[in-house]
Amino acid sequence: MNTFAQRRFVNVTLAVLVAGLLVLFNTLYEMSLRDAAFLNGWLLFAGMVFLALFNARKKLPFLPLMAASTWLQIHVYLGLICALLFLLHSDFRLPNGLFEILLWATTVALFVTGTLGLVISRRLPLRLRSSGGERMLFERIPSFRAQLANEAEALAYNSLDETGNTAVANFYWTVLAPYLRKPRNLLAHLAGSRKHARRLENQIRELQRYENTKGRALLTKLGEITAAKDNLDHQYALQLTMKLWLFFHLPLSYSVLVLSVVHVGLAYAFGSAAP
Amino acid sequence: MTRARDGLSIDLRAETGRSTRVHGDRGRTQRTVGIPRPQRWDRPFDPEMTERDVDLVMETPVFQKMDPKEFPQNLPLRGILLNDARIRHYEHGEVIVRAGDFGGSFFQVMAGRVRGLRSETNGNGRSARKGAKTKRSFFSAVSQLWRNSPVPERRNIDDYPALSGPWAFAEEEGPRERLADVGAVLASQQSELLTEDDVFGETEALTRQPYNRTYFVEGRAVVLELRWQGLRDIRRCNKTFRARIDSLYQSRDLRMHLQESPLFRHLDDEVLDHIARNTLFETHGEFEWAHGFKRLASESPQEVVKAEPVIAEYGDYLDGLILIRSGFGRITEQEAGGLRTAGFLTRNETFGLPEIIDHWRRDAPLNHRFGLHAVGYVDLLRVPTVLVERFVLPSLPEEALAAATRDDPTRYLSDFASRREATVDPTLIDFLVNTRTMNGTAVMAINTDRCTSCDDCVRACAATHDNNPRFVRHGPEHENIMIANACLHCVDAVCLIGCPTGAIHRDQATGNVVIDDTTCIGCATCANSCPYDNIRMVDIRDQGGALIVDQTSGNPIVKATKCDLCIDQLGGPACQRACPHDALIRLDLRDRDSLWRWASQ
Repeated sequence: MNTFAQRRFVNVTLAVLVAGLLVLFNTLYEMSLRDAAFLNGWLLFAGMVFLALFNARKKLPFLPLMAASTWLQIHVYLGLICALLFLLHSDFRLPNGLFEILLWATTVALFVTGTLGLVISRRLPLRLRSSGGERMLFERIPSFRAQLANEAEALAYNSLDETGNTAVANFYWTVLAPYLRKPRNLLAHLAGSRKHARRLENQIRELQRYENTKGRALLTKLGEITAAKDNLDHQYALQLTMKLWLFFHLPLSYSVLVLSVVHVGLAYAFGSAAP
Repeated sequence: MTRARDGLSIDLRAETGRSTRVHGDRGRTQRTVGIPRPQRWDRPFDPEMTERDVDLVMETPVFQKMDPKEFPQNLPLRGILLNDARIRHYEHGEVIVRAGDFGGSFFQVMAGRVRGLRSETNGNGRSARKGAKTKRSFFSAVSQLWRNSPVPERRNIDDYPALSGPWAFAEEEGPRERLADVGAVLASQQSELLTEDDVFGETEALTRQPYNRTYFVEGRAVVLELRWQGLRDIRRCNKTFRARIDSLYQSRDLRMHLQESPLFRHLDDEVLDHIARNTLFETHGEFEWAHGFKRLASESPQEVVKAEPVIAEYGDYLDGLILIRSGFGRITEQEAGGLRTAGFLTRNETFGLPEIIDHWRRDAPLNHRFGLHAVGYVDLLRVPTVLVERFVLPSLPEEALAAATRDDPTRYLSDFASRREATVDPTLIDFLVNTRTMNGTAVMAINTDRCTSCDDCVRACAATHDNNPRFVRHGPEHENIMIANACLHCVDAVCLIGCPTGAIHRDQATGNVVIDDTTCIGCATCANSCPYDNIRMVDIRDQGGALIVDQTSGNPIVKATKCDLCIDQLGGPACQRACPHDALIRLDLRDRDSLWRWASQ
């Protein structure tokens, strides 16, 4: 079993080698006064189709079609090679027709979402763990959130009897109840900011100064609940992002495939059609 | 058709053995289909077993003296023999069981001669035989794409014996294996001769281990085969039988077990017999340890260690070399007034060898430098130190002695770990022992530093199990390693112990723990016994989505379900192959090197 670093080194070397060969071949093809756009265009189209097959592999887990991790490695490095082919095919400039601009923009968006997805897949799991706590099941987060909200609400009601004043209950209804009811501060969690959490902690600490012993204990408990809710939001934000990027990448990949087929048709219909 | 009304249950169809009802409840309807509740012995071991055969068995010395009154009314001795036993006839050279097979049956020779032959198995004690469970064809595999049901836990009720009549539980044998040249085998290898009324297989059945010998027939033979649950119940009800079986279990295979250890393998028969006569057999802990483990689950690691039976304590006089026969031992060392886990031992591993070597070479004090605790249930052999020094050590090669005496606590981890100490997290071993996941041969380990929670593993599992995932991607975590709630396919599979029908069993070829759905009676004994809560009881439905219920009480029929390691799929475990990020792996924790390699990627 090799380390991931070793695998990365081998794969990068191979990808660079293949990319170098493609550029060389493309240059030689152009030097022979033939239209290299047909060559790199077809190579790009074939590459795109193969990249799309990764999703088909996911739908067929019962067939011995190589491990999905091998497919992903091929997907990532072939994706990079396709990006190079795309640049060669578009001649490193914006196209001029409306349809071509649409195809160009969709393809660029596809590469961007793919790269973003790779970064998300590699970075966010590490951030999830470093934030502490166990990895929650995404589908169970709303139920945990509801549990915390109920617990906090019960504490707020108890505070009326235990403290003899309405300060804790008021704080709950004005600040904590809206905070606990829904996922909050998702962008802040994505950005790694803790500002919102510190603000809430300060508010609780501020209130504790005016409370009796029982009130302080209740607020400490409420503080623990808000910290737990903050962790839920953190998990929710990061896990949602890890799931959501694919909802952009997949439709874009199908769009690119469809547009590419039309593009091939148009190229042969209106181009010289001679390689 | 009859429409359901609030609070009414209307019988739509009544025919032999089943009925369909529509239950109305405030406008919502729940269609049900009634079948007789599955019972033990719905599927006898051999449907051709007759009362006359039972009479024959009852005449053998083993069963002759048994008093049927010792057995409860719902579990009569004759009933056990009729339903849990079968009589098999063998020709010359035919193999009864092969070393490495997971059969779980006990055998008694009724007539003829049987030979027991020690055979080499592969590293995991599993035979090299190809899977007994048939893999799907390519077309059948592809057809899951459109044949998987939108109905959860769909079953074909015609498969259930209560409706379709009994048929044999035992897997179809196919052509029996036969030794080509019995004479040559007997001339070249030592074998044990078993004749009328001799028994074998009791150790393997009791310890849930693979057979350690190949048994074949010399001439012709008639053999009684009693499946595990029958052996368990007779042993439980009859004291004499229990005493005999336990005595055989403790003594007869002792010498053979010594031979399995590389320390003793090279010794000649006379010396080995002498050592075996002086070796003590000990058991520590509870045989059915799962419930005790669950009670301790919420305790701190120190309390868990304290609750474990002590086999040897730090500083104790070392009276013998300890050789683990089955189960697991936790190696502990003193640290800041507490006990730290230094490693664990499993089958065929030794404890106390470096201390004995140091005493033998340099006259160092003969005391344990580590402690040893029983994790769950442990069988072990204690070979007197004096015999080890006199016979074993002088014949060991220098490199083996040097490796054993390396003054380094990580020697209990693994070769790989000790070579790469810096990368090994010592608390990981503590975690594995405390959660007892080191019991697993197919632990689903997830690297949470790489897992993106994409659930491709869960979807792949569902796709290969008729749209029903067989695990939960959640479980105990240590640093970046999560042990998910998927069947571990344990070395010591305690879930097998209580199953009344043998529905949960080991696949003969692979040793994977699998459930036969048609013989499962839904008693939940296995689910309650599983220390890791990895067996789930589910309500089942027919092809049309109607809930299958007991036709008498109307209560749902439930079945036990769990991960079967995709035993019938073409590519092996779908979960592992479906993970795009190399985050999920199925690990055999008997091979600690594979864990360290994976963890240090």
